[in-house]
Amino acid sequence: MIEISAYYFGAIALIMIGLYAVLVKKNLLKMLVGLSIMETGVNLLLISIGYINGKSAPILSEGIGPKQAVDPIPQALVLTAIVIGVATTAMALSAAIILYEKYGTLNIEEIRRLRG
Amino acid sequence: MNGQYASLLIAIPLISAFFVPVIKAASKKAVMPFLVLVTAAQTAAAAWVFNEVYTTGKPIIVMAGAWRPPVGINLYIGHFAALFVFIVAAVSFLLSIYNFKTIKIEPIDKYAMLFLLLMLGATGMIATGDIFNLFVFMEITSITAYALTAYNKTGEAAEASMKYMILGGIGSSFFLIGIAIVYGSLGTLNMAQIAQLAGSMNATAAQAGLALLIFGLAVEAELFPLNAWAPDAYQAAPHPVTVMFSAFVVKAGLYAAARLLYIMQSVGSWHSVLKLVVIMATLTVLVAEFSALRQRNVKRMIAYSSISQVGFIALALALGTQAGVDAGVFHMVNHAIVKALLFIAVGYVAVELGGAEMENFRGLGRRMPITAFSITIGSLAVIGIPMFNVFWSKLRIILATVDVGYTWAAALVLIASVVEAVYYLRLLHVIWFEGSGERITESAALGAIMLLLVALVIVIGVYPDYVWNLAQKAGADIFNVAQYIKNVPLMGVGA
Repeated sequence: MIEISAYYFGAIALIMIGLYAVLVKKNLLKMLVGLSIMETGVNLLLISIGYINGKSAPILSEGIGPKQAVDPIPQALVLTAIVIGVATTAMALSAAIILYEKYGTLNIEEIRRLRG
Repeated sequence: MNGQYASLLIAIPLISAFFVPVIKAASKKAVMPFLVLVTAAQTAAAAWVFNEVYTTGKPIIVMAGAWRPPVGINLYIGHFAALFVFIVAAVSFLLSIYNFKTIKIEPIDKYAMLFLLLMLGATGMIATGDIFNLFVFMEITSITAYALTAYNKTGEAAEASMKYMILGGIGSSFFLIGIAIVYGSLGTLNMAQIAQLAGSMNATAAQAGLALLIFGLAVEAELFPLNAWAPDAYQAAPHPVTVMFSAFVVKAGLYAAARLLYIMQSVGSWHSVLKLVVIMATLTVLVAEFSALRQRNVKRMIAYSSISQVGFIALALALGTQAGVDAGVFHMVNHAIVKALLFIAVGYVAVELGGAEMENFRGLGRRMPITAFSITIGSLAVIGIPMFNVFWSKLRIILATVDVGYTWAAALVLIASVVEAVYYLRLLHVIWFEGSGERITESAALGAIMLLLVALVIVIGVYPDYVWNLAQKAGADIFNVAQYIKNVPLMGVGA
């Protein structure tokens, strides 16, 4: 049986890795990958908050009543958050395509027409 | 009439957005008039809600699916939300007329959809009573805002949109972590119940959670250091979208931040979070004013000025006193009117004269007198000249700040206001005393919109009492959390 803190540790580690990629990487696509990793970490964190050791998925079926299931609310939240994350990623990638067409590069140090 | 009809405020823009492709299939020319129709309906609904809330003095609680909170998600349309939902709808209505002149790039149907969804997102952020629902509306707002920023399809627009997306992505992740911490410690997402239970929360967890929530919202609310996207997006976005950002999208973010701050006011570490926001707000004002000083593009300059005014509002809201919150709300109303006026006028000039560079404004007083007059009144109002509306709210904010003992913050924002006067007067000098040119016929509809806003600026400046009363009621709605908890009919289930 894994301790619950292991899940928290894993989730926060993912968030940190994602944040590092967003802040440090120069390539736009790598930054977007970082953003995705960060979102995944946050989703895992939410899921682990609702997790109760030894209980099953919150799907009402034979032998699984409200007492035998984990907290369903975080799972609903994560479902929503995943959908939102997909929309953001799709939006960001299409903007990246336009950027590559107009600037011919994905290096963020060269994409700097707006300044001041 | 039944208060549950207030859910129309969410339903009208949402369902209309899905009907845009149908309208387009019928006739492409009908899309823009359809927008006018929808925003007019939304304004009417919002006016009814406003009237209902202010005459009965009681908030409207909309319960989704008739489930009582905290099991169901509720909308809370109190004095603040009623006032601001009306402002959102009214500004959108004016902009739907402004769209005819400014939006020439295809695909217009996509623009119309995003326009309605942005209005929906801001309305929802202001009206919701559930913290995760707030996150969803915030994401609706920001994703449509990313798309609208990139709408012009130039390299600059994509660049601005990308900056916004990266900051917004980090912000929304922070916000979700904040939600996870709050939910993990209190076991509820309903704002009223969070307020009820907040006192029992571990002080360190509450501080971290609240700070993360505020940081997440700071992207939308344009607080330093998460506002780097704002000037770029304001400059690159289509003109009506800039007006929307400045007039209500940022207000929705500010309101959400203030609401979350005050519902958590019984946690032990509350004052240290307030101090953090005060420092962020003061820095926002200072950095934005000094950046505005060296801009050559008028739209970008006014964008910086808008950010600095937002800093003023955040400062007032973070003071933690009734007077501060009232002043902040009053400034929000005034700022929405003045910045709508300025961005509409500057956008119109940019459309007519091919760009918002400072050179294009030479001799504007002779070329486009009504627009030039509007910019002049707007600029004088923003600087804080007496007899215009912003003067009263700025005065009250500074008095409230000194009252709490943040004399240093008051002094710094006053210095920033002097800087503001410098660059606005420079703009006015260029408009009235330099250059000359042919007279351009100005559009009657746009002239009427600008003069209407000018009239509002002056009327509120001369008779501030009516709006000040509204602002006081709306401020009490944010500040008086005990009343907020009492207003939401919570089901008796504990956490």
